[in-house]
Amino acid sequence: MRRSLKSWIDARFPLSSFVKNELTDYPTPRNLNYWWNFGFLAGFVLVLQIATGVFLAMHYKPAAAEAFNSVQHIMRDVNYGWLIRYLHSTGASAFFAVIFIHMARTLYYGSYRAPRELMWWSGQVLLIMLMATAFMGYLLPWGQMSYWGAQVITSLFGATPLIGDHIVTWLRGDFSVGDATLTRFFALHYLFPFLIIAVVILHMVALHTVKSSNPSGITLHDKDNIPFHPYFTIKDLYGLGLFLIVFCGCVFFIPEFFIEPENNIPANPLHTPAHIVPEWYFLPFYAILRSIPDKLGGVVAMAMSIIIFALMPFLDRCKVPGGACFRPVFRAMFYFFMADVILLGYIGAQPPNATLTIVGEVATFFYFAIFALLPFTSYWENRMLLQKEKLPVAALTLIREESVIRVDKKGQGAQKGEDTP
Amino acid sequence: MNGGRACLIMVLLLAVIGGANASALPLADVSIATNAEAIRRGADTVVTVCMNCHNLNYVKFRDLLDVGVSHDSLDLWKGDKDLNAPLIGSTPADMALEIFGVIPPDLSLITAARAHGGRYVYSLLVGFYVDGSGNTDNHVFPGIKMPDVLGYTFASDNNEHQAIEQSAGDVAAFLVWAADPNAGLRKKIGIAVIIYLIILTTLLSFWKRRIWKGVSKRSSHGT
Repeated sequence: MRRSLKSWIDARFPLSSFVKNELTDYPTPRNLNYWWNFGFLAGFVLVLQIATGVFLAMHYKPAAAEAFNSVQHIMRDVNYGWLIRYLHSTGASAFFAVIFIHMARTLYYGSYRAPRELMWWSGQVLLIMLMATAFMGYLLPWGQMSYWGAQVITSLFGATPLIGDHIVTWLRGDFSVGDATLTRFFALHYLFPFLIIAVVILHMVALHTVKSSNPSGITLHDKDNIPFHPYFTIKDLYGLGLFLIVFCGCVFFIPEFFIEPENNIPANPLHTPAHIVPEWYFLPFYAILRSIPDKLGGVVAMAMSIIIFALMPFLDRCKVPGGACFRPVFRAMFYFFMADVILLGYIGAQPPNATLTIVGEVATFFYFAIFALLPFTSYWENRMLLQKEKLPVAALTLIREESVIRVDKKGQGAQKGEDTP
Repeated sequence: MNGGRACLIMVLLLAVIGGANASALPLADVSIATNAEAIRRGADTVVTVCMNCHNLNYVKFRDLLDVGVSHDSLDLWKGDKDLNAPLIGSTPADMALEIFGVIPPDLSLITAARAHGGRYVYSLLVGFYVDGSGNTDNHVFPGIKMPDVLGYTFASDNNEHQAIEQSAGDVAAFLVWAADPNAGLRKKIGIAVIIYLIILTTLLSFWKRRIWKGVSKRSSHGT
């Protein structure tokens, strides 16, 4: 019965072959480390956010007069409503944490390079969609920080030359953030996750075309790939367990940590909070916005600070495999960049003052300078390491063993053959 | 090597997030009780004193049963109101506005709406002082319109001060409970969840090791 059903379906839909080729037997590099778990975790958090979000939407009321009350209704009257809400509010932070680590891994190991540019760019689109979704979701509790955050961020679009004011009104559906803004943000906050799923599918199709990169950065031979199941199903499950311990620790013991105290005051259009701060995951970009004295310039710099990641495949001209692990200069730049982002995040959280503004300007300069320097340092690295054969022995051995990439221009070790030497 | 650096980054990130929540207010360094006894005593003070002016819109009389307030006290406090009625104070908003010049804030979420909310409420209640010109002011909230309801500035000896501090602590305990009545249940479930997850993850780690036993990870593939 089961077999005949299976063959009935397979005659009409490639179910068995899909499961075999893309899930169970999908070839995966055996040397992936735990940094490669975060893509799966991002998928898990996406599903978690959609599941909890649907249940929240059953009890939430997207109207200015009722939104704040309905959140308290969820927290107090709905059975385990507090759990669903804290899973969702903490889940937003977890989503960004996981995505930032996923991106940092891609940068560190140079996974954005050929042939994975489309993965990197679809990921970039996903990041921007995630940011939009999180921003709109943050308005929904209709607290003071929700309201004023939305007011500040939508007003940024006013910097657009000529039609700025019209765009702001069009976004808000009113002259200032109000009931119309709340209802449309709710509608879009519910829509966007499904668009994200669509782009995630593109991201996965691209992944299954080019296959996973790996810490060595070298395209591995078949002998070094192992089937996804059971090796990576169990590894992902183990990683999920570790993630859930941290995540549930936050949800059950410090959920308020991720909610600004100010947001427990209902939105009041007549009273601006002393200090408007975005959520932690926007802080570095917010600091860049504030460090440019000109409004339009600040908005452009902030947008650029996110979009500039898309240029990475062009900026990095080094052919040395393995991203940062075999590239001392790139590695130093990577850690410097991470430190710079954290510094910007700190500055974004503080009320502006003269010293911090200068530090913020310097940090913003370095943020972009790293990207601007990359073409030159990576070219130099290429010359020093590849052409002068200064690669570490480990990398050379590996390249020889896999013998699938060109070691230098003279053709030594180039595209030799199928099997091990 | 990577792990160490990742930890460092995480610690720095947490420091950044922590920095965002730093408070500059002169809050007393007390720990707010979470036991039902203190919450009940606090409920008494809040209903009989604070609710002369303040509301607790999101708390219902029925909710007070959860912390063990007796039906007798509840009947006394709610009068002829319904058990499901919210805790609404006895001064209407417009009258309060006329008397104080401001509408007293709703107290249901007051401890959640301030950094270190419990300590904030405690420090505010015992933060009253009489300045040189004989006016009463508050260390935590300069220019506050609320009078010194617990009478901290009138207390003459240490015993009286201690009694008021105790009472302020109870009020803070009650308001912390009122802001998140499910916090106790949440932490109880949380402990079970974490224990379950640790056992599950340990088993998964054994299972993972078993499945991966035959797979060599050559050092040349290094990271």
